[in-house]
Amino acid sequence: MNKRYTLGMLTLVAAITLSGCGAKKANDAEGAANGGNNGAANSSNESNATSGSGADDTTYLFASDGSYAPMEYMDKDVLKGFDIDFLDAVMKEAGLKYEVRNVAWDAMLESVKQGKEYQAGISSISITDERKQTYDFSAPYFESTNVILVKEDSDIKSASDLKGKKVAVQGGTTADILMTKIIGEGNTDLKKFDSNAVALLELDQGGADAVVADIAIVRDYIKNNPDKKLKEVLDNTNFTPEYYGIAYPKDSGLKAKLDPAIKAVIENGKYAEIYKKWFNEEPDTTHLTETE
Amino acid sequence: MDFRFDIIEDYFPLLMRGTLYTICISLASIVIGSILGLGVGLGKMSRFWFLRWPMQSYINFFRGTPLLVQIFIVHFALVPLFYGKTNAIAAGVIALSLNAAAYTAEIYRAGIQSIDKGQTEAALSIGMTPWQAMRFVVLPQAIKRMIPAFGNEFIVLLKDSSLLTFITVPEIMYWSNAMKNQYIRVWEPFLTAALIYFILTYTLNKLLVWLERKVQA
Repeated sequence: MNKRYTLGMLTLVAAITLSGCGAKKANDAEGAANGGNNGAANSSNESNATSGSGADDTTYLFASDGSYAPMEYMDKDVLKGFDIDFLDAVMKEAGLKYEVRNVAWDAMLESVKQGKEYQAGISSISITDERKQTYDFSAPYFESTNVILVKEDSDIKSASDLKGKKVAVQGGTTADILMTKIIGEGNTDLKKFDSNAVALLELDQGGADAVVADIAIVRDYIKNNPDKKLKEVLDNTNFTPEYYGIAYPKDSGLKAKLDPAIKAVIENGKYAEIYKKWFNEEPDTTHLTETE
Repeated sequence: MDFRFDIIEDYFPLLMRGTLYTICISLASIVIGSILGLGVGLGKMSRFWFLRWPMQSYINFFRGTPLLVQIFIVHFALVPLFYGKTNAIAAGVIALSLNAAAYTAEIYRAGIQSIDKGQTEAALSIGMTPWQAMRFVVLPQAIKRMIPAFGNEFIVLLKDSSLLTFITVPEIMYWSNAMKNQYIRVWEPFLTAALIYFILTYTLNKLLVWLERKVQA
């Protein structure tokens, strides 16, 4: 009873805090606070996860920055993308209730670090040594690499050719980290934008000679903008593969719960199904299963 | 709470360079904006509708739309239209100047209209042209009254210049964001940036108080 009441209160607080949430949800939360006995049930209406064994009926709250199509993006007011489908599969596998909300990158990182409101972040977060100092990461679930996007007539062949050229990236991404190393810290030839969308616009308007970003983003953009005459340049020496992981606050118990589920989803073919849905090709999961 | 001073130290030279950009861009923008603003303000007070109407529209547009959107329009549309490609610093100065012009125009109008009409009439009666009356009688008095409002506008503009980080002008907020993204830590960069802005606006405020006292004397 006491626990349920707390959950009801939490739902209410969450509903009030989240200014974006609709009236329906707020009403639900109010009802929960008044009734005091069905708060948990109401909050789980949001998620489509199936209830597990009943041992753990916490609704885990995930944050995702929906500005990275096709990995995660907002379709009207609903989060969609590879990560979102993958998370759904993992949580179903683990038999846990969850909810995922769109939170801007910075706020997402800070709130996942605190671990008070959100228990985890899934947002194409590459696992790096620097980030490991602040977060715990799940087993890697996605292999990605950075590629260079240039105009079709460009003579850029590798990342080293970008020295002395103007390059646009999304700040804080691994593309930013890699290009900062090549172009040099403090050099304003590297333009760090708030999102890839704006970095791509800069290329379009002639302010940059190239954009460096994750392969999924670049391919999606080339596919959707055939008239812009763009091409991708791969550079396997400078841009080595990197792996996305779910970020947890330090010492989160969730990692132990979800890692087996991630492994299962990758091995039972569900992963390949989701991958094909979003990228129209078979995934190469050899590295995912061997890097542990 | 852990607070890592070492990463602030790491970014200190870049933050200082950014501060220089912030100061220069804000100064240039307030100067250009004030000159444009005088034109807009006088135009708005004009007897002729063909001057009044466009100036009123100008003020409505720049005061009524988000500065961030104006910055994007200037950077990705206006500057490429004339220059052929984007230029973040030029776009930054242009956007802030155009925006400041709208606000200063209203400051000029308020200042000028606060001067008693009798002053203009007296000036005209001794044979001054309307322009001379404005230049030698009304404006010198009005400008004194405008100083506090101008100071306000300058402080707002200085802080608004942080929006230029979105078009990658290497100012304070830009480096603070870079620092935030590198270490994925929010408070060190943001509080450092806040402190720098505070020092700048506080100094500016002191200068304005001094200036106000000087012109009153």
